[in-house]
Amino acid sequence: MMILERIGTYFQMVFDLAADPQHIVILLCSVLLGIIFGAMPGLTSTLGVALLTALTYGMDTATAMLCLLAIYVGGTYGGSYASILINIPGTAASAATALDGYPLACKGEAGRAIGLTTTASAIGTIISMLFLVSISPLISFFALQFTSFEFFLLAFFGILISGTLTSPDLVIKGWIAGFLGLFLSCVGRDLLQFYPRFTFGISELDSGIEVVPVLIGAFGIPQIIQVLRERFQIGETQKLQRILPEFGTIVRNIPKIIRSALIGVGIGSVPGIGEDIAAWVSYGAAKNTSKHPERFGKGEITGVLSSEVANNACVGGAMIPLLNLGIPGSPPAAMLLGALMLHGVTPGPMITFEHPTFIMEVAAILLLASLSMWVVGMLLAKQVVKVLRIPAQIFMPVIGILCIIGSYSLGMNIWNLYLMLPVGIISYFLIEMGYPIAPLVIGVILGPMADENLRRALMVSQGSFLPIFTRPVSLTLFLVIVWTVISQFPAYRKFKNKLMDKVFRRKSCEADFDTDNPEEG
Amino acid sequence: MIEKETLRKADVYSGLIIFLFGAWIVWQASKMPMKDSWGGVQNVWFVSPALFPLFVGAMIMLLGLLLFRTALKRIGLKTFGDTLKWLFSKNLLRFLNTVSILRFYAMAVLFLSLVYLNIPRIDFFLSAMLFLIVFITMFYFDEAVLLKKLFFFYLAGTAFLFIYFAGGLDDRIGRILPFAKDILVLGFLLGYCVYAWQLIRGSSLLRKKFRTGLIIAVGTPLIIGMIFKYFLLVPMPSEGLVVALTDAIWYFEF
Repeated sequence: MMILERIGTYFQMVFDLAADPQHIVILLCSVLLGIIFGAMPGLTSTLGVALLTALTYGMDTATAMLCLLAIYVGGTYGGSYASILINIPGTAASAATALDGYPLACKGEAGRAIGLTTTASAIGTIISMLFLVSISPLISFFALQFTSFEFFLLAFFGILISGTLTSPDLVIKGWIAGFLGLFLSCVGRDLLQFYPRFTFGISELDSGIEVVPVLIGAFGIPQIIQVLRERFQIGETQKLQRILPEFGTIVRNIPKIIRSALIGVGIGSVPGIGEDIAAWVSYGAAKNTSKHPERFGKGEITGVLSSEVANNACVGGAMIPLLNLGIPGSPPAAMLLGALMLHGVTPGPMITFEHPTFIMEVAAILLLASLSMWVVGMLLAKQVVKVLRIPAQIFMPVIGILCIIGSYSLGMNIWNLYLMLPVGIISYFLIEMGYPIAPLVIGVILGPMADENLRRALMVSQGSFLPIFTRPVSLTLFLVIVWTVISQFPAYRKFKNKLMDKVFRRKSCEADFDTDNPEEG
Repeated sequence: MIEKETLRKADVYSGLIIFLFGAWIVWQASKMPMKDSWGGVQNVWFVSPALFPLFVGAMIMLLGLLLFRTALKRIGLKTFGDTLKWLFSKNLLRFLNTVSILRFYAMAVLFLSLVYLNIPRIDFFLSAMLFLIVFITMFYFDEAVLLKKLFFFYLAGTAFLFIYFAGGLDDRIGRILPFAKDILVLGFLLGYCVYAWQLIRGSSLLRKKFRTGLIIAVGTPLIIGMIFKYFLLVPMPSEGLVVALTDAIWYFEF
């Protein structure tokens, strides 16, 4: 009965949102803007969400979320345009799509490929939305049992795992980036005793470092510098034919679509891991399980489907830890967290009590966003691909101005600009040196949670760390953290390989022994 | 990202810098109250505001050291010595003079001057127009010689503006002439456009690019600024000549 009631509430919300013409206009415009941001190489959905956060400041929470989630969904899908038509991924999330999408375009099947990615992306988002609705109450229930130790360990785990999985070079660099983010979160008056930390007498730093300008700086400025320094040129665009939804191909590939969606949701729900990893893992899984792996990379439709379903399924997956634990599942989700805080919504286990219908509302928005994305993709793809002809030297300076006015308008504080630019320039150097930026941002966001909960936990236990080992969830998290760290060291890998060798050798010896003496068996 | 071999050499230095940064955090955190009284509250170590920064600083130190050790182990002491020699040789100057680095300087100077010099003092529309026209022409022309000439022209203008504000000239002239700084920047903007036109007038392709750049540079701040100022009701960081004009039009203040 309760489930039916929830389903009823959900569809009521979808209907309420869709009944308002203003919402529909915002939804379609935001999806279109998201697709443009995703399609243009050098721009990402994270940047789109970051820049649009400033515009949503005056909106109510539901409309703001409608706008931002639509950009997120549209941006994740839009990356496939550039991947398919010019072989340059519009976003990192669609890099795997280029492997088979571009060969398809070269064969004169660009319209078919974009039609398929549009439908696949919409399906991916809808499946992830179903997971968000069904898993959230469960996670929320467990999270309510968490105490300060668990929250500290969870925040710490989020930063570590994000650093481990997003580092393009050495894992240590990912961890360093995470801890640098934690340091940035320490700046300002501390939450328990109001003591000024690293403020150097500057009163503007007393309230701490604002998350949104840091995010805009960390994602926007390096992008502009990188694209223009490397003299990025867009190649020749492949011809785009009629776009068809290809429902027949979709129906034939349903098991693969479900597998890719599960991969996307799973990876999306891991803190700080973005759509790009989901797409690559899904692509790899599709190739490894295919009867014709040799066709991959030469225009295999399953390759395109698997990566696109997974990267869009990541959107709903990233919402699961964001809404239930207050831990963003991906960089754009981190940006959404900043936006939610601006609107007075604090995601976490208490969200179901403070805003009982909020998760349902997000799910309803995801459904509407995916449907709008499908409609816009099917009808306007031919027009949208024209933006690929705009040179980076023209749109990147405009993005620069948007970064500046966006950072300033949140709080109308010029100090935000003074902060955004150094963060951006430092982030550029860090990226050039192989440090990932996602853990840094996750560190800035989760820092206050880790700091406050560590001290609160120690206050309750009177300075004892023993509860970590006596509470099952704490102990599990602690062991996972230790394993995450230890597994990165060569000594551990050598030990593991030796152990595996021994076990397998013994097993093979036993097997040999059994075959030598069959009468004994 | 830099290629792996060069990256390992750079990691030795970045590891060292990160280690020192971590040490600085620990040093700063050690000045925070650990067991002393703060705001009438007697502290204990586990609620001290220093606890978390100490932990973060120590971890940064440790990881920096690990990175330094890993990188040094990979490249070896001999290569490390070679990179040290390179840092103190003329090759470094040659590297810093490459076009790719010049492109970075140009962007850094543009952003720094916009954020720290122009936006807080000069009308937002004019600051944004100057930023966009310089940025677009420098990079859209896509010629190293032109980039260099335009960059140095802009640098000279920015240096002049810096002296103008730092020397207190703005206060003195501003008392006599309203919107003096905005008029000055408008002059700089026009001067830049004339200089750029002089440089490219021989090429029809570059002339077309210049016109496109000019339209974007004028149109974008007007559209973005109008949305923020009149629809989202966000006052501009600095409101001067153009804002006064748009206010007059918007509110019919004639």
